[in-house]
Amino acid sequence: MTSAEQIAAQIVSSMSLAVSPSWLNAFLANAQRNIPLSALTKTALFRVLASDIRESLTAGATSVFPVDISDPNVQERRLLGSIPVQVLDIEDIGSSLWSQVEAIERVERGEAIRGREIIRTVNVEGDGEERESGSTNSASTAGHPSASGSNGNGPHRLILQDAKGTNVAAIEMQRIEAISVDKLPIGSKLLLRNLTVARGMILLDSGCCTLLGGKIETLDKTWREGRKARLLQRIDSMANEP
Amino acid sequence: MARKILCVAEKPAIARAVATHLSGGSFQTHAIRGNQYVKNYEFEFNFGGSWGQCSVTMTSVIGHLTGLDFASQYKGWMSCPPGALFEAPVQEDVDKDKKPIAENIRNQARYSKALFIWTDCDREGEHIGTEVRNQAKAGNARIEVKRARFSNTERAHVLQAARAPVELDEFQANAVAARIELDLRIGAAFTRLQTLQLQAVAAILKEKVISYGSCQFPTLGFVVDRYFRVQNFKPETFWSIKVMLERERKKVNFLWRRVHLFDRAAVTMMLERCLKAKQAKVTKVTQKPKSKWRPLPLTTVDLQMMGSRFLRIDSQTIMKVAEALYTKGFISYPRTETDQFDKAIDLKKLVETQFPDDRWGQYAKDLIEGKFRTPRSGRNNDKAHPPIHPVCWVSPTSLNDNERKVYEFVVRRFLACCSDDAKGSGTDVEIQYGDEFFHASGLLVLERNYLDVYVYEKWESSQQLPHFERGETFEPTEANISEGKTTAPNYLTEPELIGLMDANGIGTDATMAEHIAKIKDRQYVVVNKRGTGRNKVEELIPTHLGVALVEGYDNVVSGLPSSISLSKPFLRKEMEKQMLEICAGAKTRQDVVQQSLDMYREVFIHTQRRIEMLKAACRKYLVE
Repeated sequence: MTSAEQIAAQIVSSMSLAVSPSWLNAFLANAQRNIPLSALTKTALFRVLASDIRESLTAGATSVFPVDISDPNVQERRLLGSIPVQVLDIEDIGSSLWSQVEAIERVERGEAIRGREIIRTVNVEGDGEERESGSTNSASTAGHPSASGSNGNGPHRLILQDAKGTNVAAIEMQRIEAISVDKLPIGSKLLLRNLTVARGMILLDSGCCTLLGGKIETLDKTWREGRKARLLQRIDSMANEP
Repeated sequence: MARKILCVAEKPAIARAVATHLSGGSFQTHAIRGNQYVKNYEFEFNFGGSWGQCSVTMTSVIGHLTGLDFASQYKGWMSCPPGALFEAPVQEDVDKDKKPIAENIRNQARYSKALFIWTDCDREGEHIGTEVRNQAKAGNARIEVKRARFSNTERAHVLQAARAPVELDEFQANAVAARIELDLRIGAAFTRLQTLQLQAVAAILKEKVISYGSCQFPTLGFVVDRYFRVQNFKPETFWSIKVMLERERKKVNFLWRRVHLFDRAAVTMMLERCLKAKQAKVTKVTQKPKSKWRPLPLTTVDLQMMGSRFLRIDSQTIMKVAEALYTKGFISYPRTETDQFDKAIDLKKLVETQFPDDRWGQYAKDLIEGKFRTPRSGRNNDKAHPPIHPVCWVSPTSLNDNERKVYEFVVRRFLACCSDDAKGSGTDVEIQYGDEFFHASGLLVLERNYLDVYVYEKWESSQQLPHFERGETFEPTEANISEGKTTAPNYLTEPELIGLMDANGIGTDATMAEHIAKIKDRQYVVVNKRGTGRNKVEELIPTHLGVALVEGYDNVVSGLPSSISLSKPFLRKEMEKQMLEICAGAKTRQDVVQQSLDMYREVFIHTQRRIEMLKAACRKYLVE
């Protein structure tokens, strides 16, 4: 077996990722000589996780999405086997866009770090002392600053991309710890197994989704820098809807 | 020399109350020259200990005796560059209208063996105590100095305090002295700078003094911050899934665990998966006792927040009224951070004093006949004063309108503290429907307990749920998507503002109300009434000037990451922390004054350099 084949086999067995031979050859051509194979494998894996999978992985027929995966007319379908993807976008659909803008601005002002306490205002609302507060007064909290439900806990809506370049939306149906706007970098790699897709959306839960890690530095940087502007733009375009 | 003790209280009414208790009601009253309010009360009293039986002169001051000001050559607005006020010499002088009071103390001290200070037991009172001491020593350099530790003017408490004199707390007095100097220098420097610079900017600022205070501005900052949050708010649509089941002729509404989401396609897909599942399954049925906790013992901040919320009286008025009730001996000292009762206080005896009342007398009797509970303990103890509580019963006819309301609140709150929690039984039902979870809950209030006397809070039974069995399945009667919109926050209310000030170290419980009154007075904010009847709310809205000042100062420091805007609480909070260090003996007055001045001087220099930004903000809001 050549060293390329050995490395590819290693990466398949540890991460279930089928590295493209041409990408691997290019990697080996640039690698220093006389490096032990185990170290070389580690470096290769690190590079794969930091790469664009459209270049670094083989787009095998069973390891990519069907081209019509986003078809909203399909009520439900199951996809067997495992599909590696990279994260292109993440948003918290449990919080209003505006509350996310406000949170970003607080961080910009350096106030989140200083922990500007607003605990007391909760008591002012009057339910602070109630244990097991019933459902009776959940309506009365409307209009309270946090009524928009900004808690950062999602659920999240992701845009995922396969090795062939097909994009699809995915909804976090059950809480997955690794998925959050702050913690999940753009370009992270996920391995999806035995998926359910409903109305063109992948249903994510911890059973079908393994985080492999990594990120695409340039994408992540521009995505974060542009996040506030994108949120504001969406708010504006919403206001213009009839 | 005669064994005479000179007692000095902070206010005439306290002097009279203490004199009444110590003398058993028989004392001679003498007017003093030059002040119609302050009186000298003379009587005999046996202090025990080293003093024993003595003749006593009980008199008072009226708040602070002295004021701090710049030397005369710095008093004129154009006399020096405003920045010079950070170092200009200052001097402490007896206020002109307090001169007769100071003279009275000097005269009385001449014939006295000891000075016994009865100023209020808080930081301010400690400082006033040192002012009294200075006058007494000027009259009699060898006079012995003691102070009384007391927190209300109830008879037994006063007698006990009279027989256990302690020392003045120099640390606390120094903290106040530091604060006075800092307020003077920082306040005057910024007030002169901004007034002189801004007067020319807009016609309505001509002739106007634009005052600055290190508590006022952060207080204004909170109001402006909320104002912009309201103004900038953008409503957004959200979607939710509602599930309803009709059972036993009741409609049970189940609420979605996700509450609502901001993605319509996702919600539609989720609902479809619910409907596809057809049957919902009951995953949890819990029946457990629920309770609503009785309130904590009353602190000043709570009195102001709850008072302005329930009684609809602004916080400054509440404090004035509470002060009057204290001075008349009806309630304990109203400035306290303590929310735990000392074990030594006989609470039941205090409850008994309320027996004669028509409204809650019977409730008080029921407490004594078995329903009494030891109050909950909060986490705060200022080691000076107990929580605010009634000292004796007073007939409502002998109080004015506001006094009656505040006294009633203090009593009801106290009785509520000594009562049991309200108790009920709650049922929670959780169902899984498709991939989604929903829940419904019911509450049955079984024992109202404290709620019977604490009429300000509500806790009511909800509709009772029909029977559900864990594991059973059912087909919901209805399941559909409902749409809603996010709503803007409301403008800041006074109770909320007090909460923010308290959480961020702006002012003390005693001064918060003054700062709020001041920003209204300066026309930096106005009060706007919204709603009617029980829903009436008073909102604080900044004026153009208020907005301009905050935005201007924010702009002055923008792009200077290490500098903090004067509209933010952080600088003042730091200063307040240093005051506490003086009180703890960890720092000296001089150190703290220098450090705090350095902090503010830095902002002052930035403000001078970038004064155009402050002017631009004023032009933006006041001219255009």
